[in-house]
Amino acid sequence: MTAKVITVKCDDFDGDASHDGGVMSVRVTGTADYAAVDALEQFLDEVHDESMRSNVKQTTVDLRQLEFMNSSCFKCLISWITILQELPPSAQYKVMFISNPKMHWQKRSLHSLRCFAEDLISVSE
Amino acid sequence: MGALAGNAYVELNFRPNVQLVSVVRRFVSEFYQRTLGDPDGSSRVALATHELLENAVKYSKDGETTIRIEISTTGAPREVTIMLRNRAEESHIAAISAIVDGVAAAKDAFAYYQQLLHAKAKHREGSGLGLARICAEGEMKIAYTVNDDTVELLATTHVAEAT
Repeated sequence: MTAKVITVKCDDFDGDASHDGGVMSVRVTGTADYAAVDALEQFLDEVHDESMRSNVKQTTVDLRQLEFMNSSCFKCLISWITILQELPPSAQYKVMFISNPKMHWQKRSLHSLRCFAEDLISVSE
Repeated sequence: MGALAGNAYVELNFRPNVQLVSVVRRFVSEFYQRTLGDPDGSSRVALATHELLENAVKYSKDGETTIRIEISTTGAPREVTIMLRNRAEESHIAAISAIVDGVAAAKDAFAYYQQLLHAKAKHREGSGLGLARICAEGEMKIAYTVNDDTVELLATTHVAEAT
């Protein structure tokens, strides 16, 4: 059974998250710019809390319909991954980002993110 | 938008609000794609344009911002220059100086950016990453000049001919 757990909507930015079988599936769409920073930060906090509560082993983040992410929103991802890094290894979950090869900024930003936490993050198209 | 002496350029002098930054990014993205052709190069400079504009809008003393984007259309690779000018508080000019000088002093812009990601991860206020991101992910060089309370940022890069 799939549990719908979290949604976010702010101007041109939308997100939702649900988990099933030990995997949390997150999808974000639109534009993650200045207007979306607070909403994204809260959304990721809730995704993390639910991932921990549900003892998921992997979270996928689908960025394929995300047109752009500014540095403030990118920092929200960094902060989330930092919290994850500081957990004991047994409590950590892996994060896989699904990117859109036509959105060229994603390749560069996800490379930065992967270098930040190679042991936790993977990227697929 | 226009063309002078072989260069294509767009110049906007406006009082933007933060909601307009993404609108301007989409507009200049179209300009980049049509002028440069190269999708990755266009994406790099669009990212830089967005970060520079957001920076200016957030910290402009009087809300006025001038942006000029110029692309050399002769020779290869083509040079893209983004100039942003606005009045800013002393503290903001100091923050710009710290980042731009830090990147310039670093041997590797990407390694500097990674250090900054670790340093800023737990800061709640602002990202402090925009300018370093332009250098690392946008592969652009940034310089600045200050005249009284007016700061001018100049970001440059080269973009290969589209194949």
